[in-house]
Amino acid sequence: MKRVGVFICHCGINIAGVVKVPELKERVKNIDGVVSCVDYVYCCSDPGQKLIQDTIKAEQLEGVVVACCSPSLHEATFRKACEEAGLNRYLCEIANIREQCSWVTADRDAATSKAEGIIATIVEKVRHNQPLERVRVPMVKRCLVVGAGIAGIQAALDVANAGYEVVLVEKEPSIGGHMAQLSETFPTLDCSQCILTPRTVEAGRHPKIKLLTYSEVVDITGFVGNFRVKIRQKPRYVDIEKCTGCGICLEKCPVRVDAVFDRNLTRRRAIYRLFPQAVPNKVVIDADSCRQLQGKKCGVCAKVCPADAIRYDDQERFIEEEVGAIVLATGYELFDLSRLGYYGGGAVPDVIDGLAFERILSASGPFGGEVRRPSDGKVPKRVVFVQCAGSRDSTQGVPYCSKICCMYTAKHALLYKHRVHDGEAIVCYIDVRTPGKGFEEFYRRATDEGVKYLRGKVSKIFRQGDKVVVWAADTLAGKKIEIEADMVVLATAVVPNPAGVALARKLKVALDSNGFQTEAHPKLKPVETLTAGFFLAGCGQGPKDIPETVAQASAAAAKVLSMFGTTELFHEPVVAEVDEEVCVGCGNCQRTCAYEAVKVDPQRGKAVVQTAMCEGCGACAVSCPSGAINLKNWTKEALGRMVDVWR
Amino acid sequence: MRLLYYPGCTLYSKAKNLDLCGRRTAERLGVTLDELPSWNCCGAIFNTGSDDLAGQVGPVRVLAKASQLGDKLVTLCAACYNVLKRARARLNAPGNELERQRIMEFVDEKMERDVKVVHYLEVLKQDIGWEAIRSRVVKPLQGLNVASYYGCLMVRPREVLSFDDPENPMVMDELVATLGGEPVRFEFKTECCGGYLVVNRREVAQDCSMRVVDNARNWGAELIVTTCPLCQYNLEIAQKRGRAEAQNVPVLYFTQLLGLALGLPQEELGFEDNKLDPVGFLKEKGLL
Repeated sequence: MKRVGVFICHCGINIAGVVKVPELKERVKNIDGVVSCVDYVYCCSDPGQKLIQDTIKAEQLEGVVVACCSPSLHEATFRKACEEAGLNRYLCEIANIREQCSWVTADRDAATSKAEGIIATIVEKVRHNQPLERVRVPMVKRCLVVGAGIAGIQAALDVANAGYEVVLVEKEPSIGGHMAQLSETFPTLDCSQCILTPRTVEAGRHPKIKLLTYSEVVDITGFVGNFRVKIRQKPRYVDIEKCTGCGICLEKCPVRVDAVFDRNLTRRRAIYRLFPQAVPNKVVIDADSCRQLQGKKCGVCAKVCPADAIRYDDQERFIEEEVGAIVLATGYELFDLSRLGYYGGGAVPDVIDGLAFERILSASGPFGGEVRRPSDGKVPKRVVFVQCAGSRDSTQGVPYCSKICCMYTAKHALLYKHRVHDGEAIVCYIDVRTPGKGFEEFYRRATDEGVKYLRGKVSKIFRQGDKVVVWAADTLAGKKIEIEADMVVLATAVVPNPAGVALARKLKVALDSNGFQTEAHPKLKPVETLTAGFFLAGCGQGPKDIPETVAQASAAAAKVLSMFGTTELFHEPVVAEVDEEVCVGCGNCQRTCAYEAVKVDPQRGKAVVQTAMCEGCGACAVSCPSGAINLKNWTKEALGRMVDVWR
Repeated sequence: MRLLYYPGCTLYSKAKNLDLCGRRTAERLGVTLDELPSWNCCGAIFNTGSDDLAGQVGPVRVLAKASQLGDKLVTLCAACYNVLKRARARLNAPGNELERQRIMEFVDEKMERDVKVVHYLEVLKQDIGWEAIRSRVVKPLQGLNVASYYGCLMVRPREVLSFDDPENPMVMDELVATLGGEPVRFEFKTECCGGYLVVNRREVAQDCSMRVVDNARNWGAELIVTTCPLCQYNLEIAQKRGRAEAQNVPVLYFTQLLGLALGLPQEELGFEDNKLDPVGFLKEKGLL
């Protein structure tokens, strides 16, 4: 019989304040197979680990159970300690008596009994455990970056500058993301395009970056170090090698449609580029509005193109790439304006969102940088800025704070005052949140320069004649107020880009209830995901401003690089195992596996597990009708015994 | 289809036309509304006092009576709908067993089963369906710009009423479109009409109602429809007091508009009970 040692950690008073440790220790000693039971105040400390190592040697232990916190915290610590003492790391298991016992059980006697039960089951597991070796997997040292906004560009540049190849995929015809739409950036008011374009140009020209614009990731298979990526390149109808970006076609195309890049405030042609500094500076034809592609007579762009670059017969292409790591930088969108019907969103033309106002402020925007309102082009003399439009509203919008709105609203109001000197800027806010370097000072500057702040939620916005009426409360004065404004700018909530949400769902990257990608640990693993090899950057993970986005992108790149810096990868050996004598090849496991790690070999009619792809979830083992699949160290026999010993 | 129907007091007095058109249109759509026998007042306003259980007895008795005959009760009046639905929700709230027991002590009838309270609009949309209604339209409301005014009772509180978007309800707009009319989007579709303030603070109600009417007019409404007798009264009376006749916007019950489109004879449309006579306007529009 295996000699098992149990170590009970007090975790200060976290465990010992509830569980009666001395009593528990005596009861644990009576569990079958336990030859030694020791308690210690902090097992994870250096002396605690040494205690475990010394006991392993002194008692010749063949298995170790540490009764402490969740295995997600210190399993690695204790396994490493055991390994150093000569015990195979997979013979060390954690009995979680903190999160699953002391923190959630009030009665001390009940907690003590529960802890005993938890320990007994894990002792039983250790008795069935086999020593395992970690699986070595080879690694392709190339990186995929999905999304080429500022986050994706930064991550791609950092990885590429370290000498590794990067595949940068962007669904739009050119890179830069939302940052390219912004006018000036808070709190320093430097021009967004001016600080962005050096990065877009560098990414566009970098020898190590393979840039795929107007493309989408369709599917990713494989596992960390060895992903196969399928990318769909949408038909551009323009030969990107031949197009010089001269722009003659842009003048001659007869079709005009709303320009999404300008938040529908301007019209663009059916052949277009997003903005003059686009990278790559190549045009694209929007097939839905192009006369020629809709089967009507036209062909003007082909006639005028001096480079002969127009290809009406262009087809979508599928590209396959092999990469070892993936950075998701899928970005954000703004909360749909039309869902804010009570604010006139989508119905009143002079109620616009923050990005639309950025376009209005922008020199390349609809009014050449002059502040005018969309309905009639008049200069608005009174503008109301509404914060938390959809944010912090769990009934009709999103429950979270979108984080960037307080600052960009202050910026909007200030820039408006700079352009319209006799104009009145009123900000309706619930709270002003300015935690950032220079942020509070910037907000002060806005109020000092005459921006009026009214504390209170806006209840309703509607059109009256050529005015936009805002109903709000001034909670500091205790009054209900009605403002007749010329234009209203809603600081709509930041939501994850729907395309990014769909991709993450497909790739089974965890999402929170709001659709933001979930990091592996909220504090200590902020750019990793629970799926090995996937890293996060930018607003796809949560709302953030430009400096924070860039910092996170560099952090994701650093994680990719530290992975690429090792010679080989290891995979946990706790994987599914098929007993071929029993397997009938029904394929249930193949249909159940979320990781596509089990396949039935058509020749032999037996299920085969691809070890490197198996995440050890155990779903196949459960689904197997003939009981042919076992998860290593979680065999059916062990599980049955673990249930039996619960007292 | 046979459905149990609770008219409520107002539909026997001030809002006879809401009731009449409701019953007649239901017949045309193949639904028989069986009036709940010996019903009593719902209470008119939902009592929110936590210690005043007597206020719950009225609506609960209505539900108990209904429970002996069916599991679904149709209402036409927005106020009855609101009160009955909220009384049911309070009665069924988890952890409210003691209160339920105490209320039931005052009610002779036994609560045989849970009774779902539905509005006639829900029946139209969910049980009959817009397509079926469209196929029965004999007089499409072509070119008629109709603002659907919901007021507060149909949609709030959202947790309990919850059959349409509380900020931007659409069910009546969908009905108008089904009947061939043009739904008018306006911002005051759920703003207050002034409610009972018309009794003791008439000028406040006047103000509230005129704001609703003016907003609808500004968005091009030629006609307003409501579900609520009090809204209907307030919007009409405010206009009658407020200004010259030429600018008035007729205010009909949605059942009257439905009846018009389904081809009910004029004597069954109950226009004589409307304070702002819509007949002239509807003739002008070629609908009468």
